[in-house]
Amino acid sequence: MKGFGFFTSSNRLFFLILSCTDNYRLCILFYRYRDLAPQLVPLDYTHKPDVTLPYELIGSMPELKDNPFRQRIAEVFSEDGDGNMTLDNFLDMFSVLSEMAPRDLKAYYAFKIYDFNNDDYICKSDLEKTVNKLTRNELTPEEVSLVCEKVIYEADADNDGKLSLEDFQHMIIRAPDFLSTFHIRI
Amino acid sequence: MFFFLTFFIWTCMKHYFQQLLCPLSFRRFGNSLSEYFHLLQLRYNTLKVIGAEFGTSVLSYFIFLKWLLTFNIFSLLINFSFITIPQFLAAEPNNLSFTGLELLTGAGYFQQTVLYYGFYTNATISKIKNGPSYNMQLAYIFTVGLYFVICFLILLFSIAKSFWRNFINPQAYSVNASKLLCTWDFNITNEKAVKLKQKNLSMQIKEDLTEVNWEVLSVSAKERVVCISINFASWVASLGTALAACAGVYFLSTNNLKLFVKGHRNDLESQAAMLVLPVVTSLLNAFIPFFYSWLGRLERFKTPGQHIYVTITRNIILKISILGILCYYWLGIVAASESQCWETLVGQDIYRLIVVDFIFCLLGSFFGEFLRRIIGTTVYVSLGLPEFDIGRNVLDLIYAQTLTWVGILFSPLLPVIQIIAFSIVFYVKKVSLMMNCQPPRKVWRTAQMTTSFIFLLFFPSFVGVLALFSHTFRLKPSEECGPFRGLSSMYAAVSEWIEILENYTASKWVVWIYHNLITSELFFFILSTLVLIVTYIYWQIIEGRKTMTKLLYKQISNEGKDKMFLLEQLRSLQRAKQTPSAPGGQGQAGQS
Repeated sequence: MKGFGFFTSSNRLFFLILSCTDNYRLCILFYRYRDLAPQLVPLDYTHKPDVTLPYELIGSMPELKDNPFRQRIAEVFSEDGDGNMTLDNFLDMFSVLSEMAPRDLKAYYAFKIYDFNNDDYICKSDLEKTVNKLTRNELTPEEVSLVCEKVIYEADADNDGKLSLEDFQHMIIRAPDFLSTFHIRI
Repeated sequence: MFFFLTFFIWTCMKHYFQQLLCPLSFRRFGNSLSEYFHLLQLRYNTLKVIGAEFGTSVLSYFIFLKWLLTFNIFSLLINFSFITIPQFLAAEPNNLSFTGLELLTGAGYFQQTVLYYGFYTNATISKIKNGPSYNMQLAYIFTVGLYFVICFLILLFSIAKSFWRNFINPQAYSVNASKLLCTWDFNITNEKAVKLKQKNLSMQIKEDLTEVNWEVLSVSAKERVVCISINFASWVASLGTALAACAGVYFLSTNNLKLFVKGHRNDLESQAAMLVLPVVTSLLNAFIPFFYSWLGRLERFKTPGQHIYVTITRNIILKISILGILCYYWLGIVAASESQCWETLVGQDIYRLIVVDFIFCLLGSFFGEFLRRIIGTTVYVSLGLPEFDIGRNVLDLIYAQTLTWVGILFSPLLPVIQIIAFSIVFYVKKVSLMMNCQPPRKVWRTAQMTTSFIFLLFFPSFVGVLALFSHTFRLKPSEECGPFRGLSSMYAAVSEWIEILENYTASKWVVWIYHNLITSELFFFILSTLVLIVTYIYWQIIEGRKTMTKLLYKQISNEGKDKMFLLEQLRSLQRAKQTPSAPGGQGQAGQS
């Protein structure tokens, strides 16, 4: 998986612990995954079937269907970056978006979601797309541009005109609301 | 043979259990599991639905309410098991009749029940002759003391954890960046709420882009003087209103006392007269905050956050001063009066206050939200739907909890009333929210507000109650009722017990701890000095780290500039390398 090297041992341990001790949550998530397409998803996963649900089904879930970032969320967590998710991807997605995920993990995935062109930097065009999604295209292009310049000015520490993962994480540390807002209840 | 049999059984069982515990083979569970999940989901569902439609800030009020409910259940368990159950064993029969009015006034039938201090015996209870005995006096004091110590620790740890998680250095807070990238609420899953939030965000961004910073504007000296005088005048008005309210409450309460001392007539008139004080107090607490928010609208504040904090501070001053006057009345005047059982009288007063406050809370929800929605949608359509006022509702909760804490010594079963009240308030507020309110327009800094709520619960409320108790323990208890009758003060029970223990060699260490640690001032002086020194050390470490952070920031910025400079150099070198080949070639061609 691309970017796996980022995961520190604590994050890997987090996924392991989550999957081992939280069987109840696991059961709920499995049933939700299966409810999206009961004819495609078998009840028996012992032989690791290769089942991938298309993005349209994932995006129609009530928790995601009105979220302006649902496409990016599905793309970030899917295997090939096209939004089609296996059960593992689905479980990872809701684990990161749960209240137990550590802050660094959430910051990492939030960064990837806002990085529309997947170049490991949030540049001005990524920010403009974010602003348009957040405001439903109600701002004029000049206003969008002004807002993006302000954001880069405030958050860019090494003055290269774009936000790296470290800049983003540094901003997250100073916004304690992030942990409670980057969270989907299921 | 035996060995092979056990081995065979062991492998069969291992195989069987592996099948059973294999986490993803769900054939065994089937339908029963889905029913079980449905039940567990119900508890989760209420909070999820509220968060989905209204966002995290309104959700924080409901989470705070649930937390207070758990707190009260815990205090009920402690009081009930250590004080009330032993009292049931030594109970005297109740000769009074029960009319429905007792639920409201707390007097009458309830006077001779475990609800009030006056009913508890001062004897040492022992059902079996020469068996273990239960000293009611010590049990009462130690239970209440232990309960407060545990509350103190729980509150302290909650504040510390909340502060550590949520503290922001206000200078380092990047407003625009966080507003854009960190505050989109992924909890909201209702289409209308999402559209509304998007509209609010775009309006806020437009406002931010066009507003001029009030400080940067060269405000003329005259305007500044006018502003400061308006601020000063509104503070004087608010403090004056609080003072007038306190005077009114004091006057009413001394009248109240005359009623009790006159006689114990249980007819309707005197019962209704007992309700005047709580109703007037609750009316003052309900209407003066409207006056404060009107004052707040007249003034001009630098940030909307400042407006909220000033309004909350004024409301707190009002509530605390009214409570303070009432406590002075109870402990200073009622305790010294000639009434038969002053602790029970105080307990009844607090019971009435809590019940009337609860009724006013429900009425406030009815008028403030339901009627306001009807007015906002039919008569004055421009007003629109009301917003859920988080600040005022949280202050009401904190006030109710403070009343419970004040009254717990005089009425040990008060948490029962509070649990019932909080549960009803939870459902009423939830239904009212869903039916009548719209999501909040302004983005609240939820994490900071939650920290402030717990801090407010701890600092004025809890610490005030502790101070109250240390005074109560030195008062003279009434002669004819309660577990401390006949003693010179409630505290005397403990000192008498220590005197008894001095005669036993096995418990000399308890006596030593009492004389040298609990009653000695030197020990507390040393403890306070140590705490201050440790705090100072930690403060210095934080200052040092702040300077370090600033230096590292500068370093990152310089590295970035270095990187740009070197990249430019590289580019110009590459350009210089490419261009000499072209004129060289032409020269050669020209020469040849």
